Amino acid sequence: MSRRQAKGDYIETDSGNKVSRKAMLQGTQNIMLGGKAVIQPEVMIRGDLVRTAPSSSSSGGPANSTAVAIGRYCFLARGALLRPPGRIYKGTFTYMPLRMGDHVFVGQSTVVQAATVGNYVHIGRDCTIGEFAIIKDCVRILDGTIVPPHMVIPSFSIVAGQPARLIGELPEGGSLEDFELRDLYKSVGNNPQPPPP
Amino acid sequence: MAFTAPYTYIQCPCSSDPPELDPGEQAAQDAIESDDEYTFDPRAPRANYSLYPLEYLLYCEECQEIRCPKCVNEEIVTYFCPNCLFEVPSSNLRSEGNRCTRSCFQCPVCTSPVQAGEIPNEPDPTLLGADNNPAAHVSYALFCQYCNWSSSEIGIEFDRPSGIPAQLAKVKNGGEPKITAKDLKERRKENPDEPPIADNLVDTELQFANLKSFFQNQLSDSTGVLGNLSLADGAGFSSPAALSRIMTLYTAGRGQPGRQRGPPDTMREAHSTDDGLRIAKLDESAEVKKLFRGGWDETVSREQTLAQLEPARFQDELRPTQCTLRTKRSKRCAVCRHIISKPENKVASTRFKIRLVAKNYIPSISIRPLKPTASGILVGLRPNVQIEKPLKPLQPCQYIVTFTNPLFESIKVTLATPNSTPGRFSSRVTLLCPEFEVDANTDMWDDALRDDGDLKRRDDSNGQAEAGKIYERGRNWVSVVLEVIPPSLRVENLDLTAKPGEAVDKSPLKEDEDILEIPMFVRIEWEAEAQHDITGTAGRDKDAREKRELAYWCVLGVGQISHE
Repeated sequence: MSRRQAKGDYIETDSGNKVSRKAMLQGTQNIMLGGKAVIQPEVMIRGDLVRTAPSSSSSGGPANSTAVAIGRYCFLARGALLRPPGRIYKGTFTYMPLRMGDHVFVGQSTVVQAATVGNYVHIGRDCTIGEFAIIKDCVRILDGTIVPPHMVIPSFSIVAGQPARLIGELPEGGSLEDFELRDLYKSVGNNPQPPPP
Repeated sequence: MAFTAPYTYIQCPCSSDPPELDPGEQAAQDAIESDDEYTFDPRAPRANYSLYPLEYLLYCEECQEIRCPKCVNEEIVTYFCPNCLFEVPSSNLRSEGNRCTRSCFQCPVCTSPVQAGEIPNEPDPTLLGADNNPAAHVSYALFCQYCNWSSSEIGIEFDRPSGIPAQLAKVKNGGEPKITAKDLKERRKENPDEPPIADNLVDTELQFANLKSFFQNQLSDSTGVLGNLSLADGAGFSSPAALSRIMTLYTAGRGQPGRQRGPPDTMREAHSTDDGLRIAKLDESAEVKKLFRGGWDETVSREQTLAQLEPARFQDELRPTQCTLRTKRSKRCAVCRHIISKPENKVASTRFKIRLVAKNYIPSISIRPLKPTASGILVGLRPNVQIEKPLKPLQPCQYIVTFTNPLFESIKVTLATPNSTPGRFSSRVTLLCPEFEVDANTDMWDDALRDDGDLKRRDDSNGQAEAGKIYERGRNWVSVVLEVIPPSLRVENLDLTAKPGEAVDKSPLKEDEDILEIPMFVRIEWEAEAQHDITGTAGRDKDAREKRELAYWCVLGVGQISHE
């Protein structure tokens, strides 16, 4: 059984997000949490790096200023950094939003600068996900991987290495439940349950 | 070896019946089969090829057997490019090969994807005033953002950022235009007396085109059956018409001498560049000189040259390669040919049309220590897990083995383990409760609604490690206790346990000999609805139920034994 931390180490929102008070969230108005997300201490989310160039699709509509969008049951382990990718677009430098699906695990000290991360993605510790990488659903990225910028990782891939290479395919015998982070979600917070065996 | 959390591997039954053996080996195998004392040895060299984690196993409902990746046949459902995620029709595959023909290129140095980008042109001192001239010629190159390689390093630049494959096919490294077979033909037309081009200008593609036309001419010259068989593409041989022609070649052609069939026995040798002859270049002084000048850094690594289409020796010979396609595959049972796994055709879809996985048919087995030595982890650091300390030799250690039943019928489980594990350093193993029943996998809410009396009736668990009793029981799972006494890993202690007169292998500790793996035989029995009346509504009949059983070996990876 773990030592319980002093009460109130996490801010628990109505939608069930558990955000550590020691997390560093910049530009919180531009960060969307899907609910039941866990943000551990020392995690940094750069919501301040918001898109400056006008979006080509939404002309005239309300300015969409989301910099980082996270789905349900995401888990950001200690020291992870989510940083929207930036590039030169029509002559000016602009950041682009970073979108993350549901049940995404981001390991310790991992830097994510992807454009899109799908659902049920497991990113190990000490990884770097390069700018504008696109990670589809059901992908496992092993510890210490460096995904080069603009790389696309299709579903059911297991990638590892520097730079990331496909090293295997996820077996169909597994199920999406293996990626689900509900139990992990329960093991963190102000009233944590013991981690699942 | 970095040790991970305890694991369970399952042996696919397909590996226990080896197809062909020498007579001697066969006899040995028979002896093993007949011997009840036979235990599966997880350290045997062949064991590595038959053990799988549960997720890798499928289940054939027709054969009612576990199927592993080795005993299924794969069929390709869809080809797609892993970079642009476009589905490639198989007809394209035949004509264009198994690489993406869109602008998906890999860096030849580090395999990362490369992007086309503008080359930042250097400011021209003479044109200081005329800046931002829209008519200025902009050229493009492929850039790797991982290792900073760019195609200008090999002297390749493009006029447009699109249509890279077509542009790349026309230039050689260094920027000179590539001579293709078509160019050559046109040149020949204009100037018939031109001598064939020099050997060093002929690249592999051109040589192949020459060779192909050379042999095609020879084949069409002959009046044989194969005369009209085109060599245009490899597909020519697999078409039904070509196949029947080949068949007649082998059947009807026999015993009818004198009639010339098939290609002529003797083919003319290629003897000029136009015939595809390229004389091997034995003078390597230029390469040697280059090596002296550039040194090690100029050469390519083995991985780099293997990824190239043409063998390359120096960095400036590398070319960006197109992404190889990936596939989605369906799986068939090798015995009954039924499909047991079939993904949806669409590339983006992660769903399956058919997916019969072992996880839904056989219990999942997990193992954890009864008294964990690792202390808990701080909430802020989760989900890190602390690794259990190595097992102390000669000290009994208890583990909880949990069986979770995925079936909607209750199953009867019978377990067996050898008293001592195979190998030089053998551990003593005791299963405290080798026979028990696991309840059906009912709806989670049934559990809550059912009154407690029902549960209590079956409550034969006591939460203690006691012989003959299960440790804990839940809705569809049962935990039993396993006791292990690890051996001492000292080589000199081997004498004590050895039988008299037996030679003792006293060589030093081998790799992984300190890993404690327990072979366990699992037999499950359950009553299922008879397969033939799945459609019948009277399936609830007691008569319609049939007994099923499944038995297999599995290996419990318990932990590492301390070296003290």
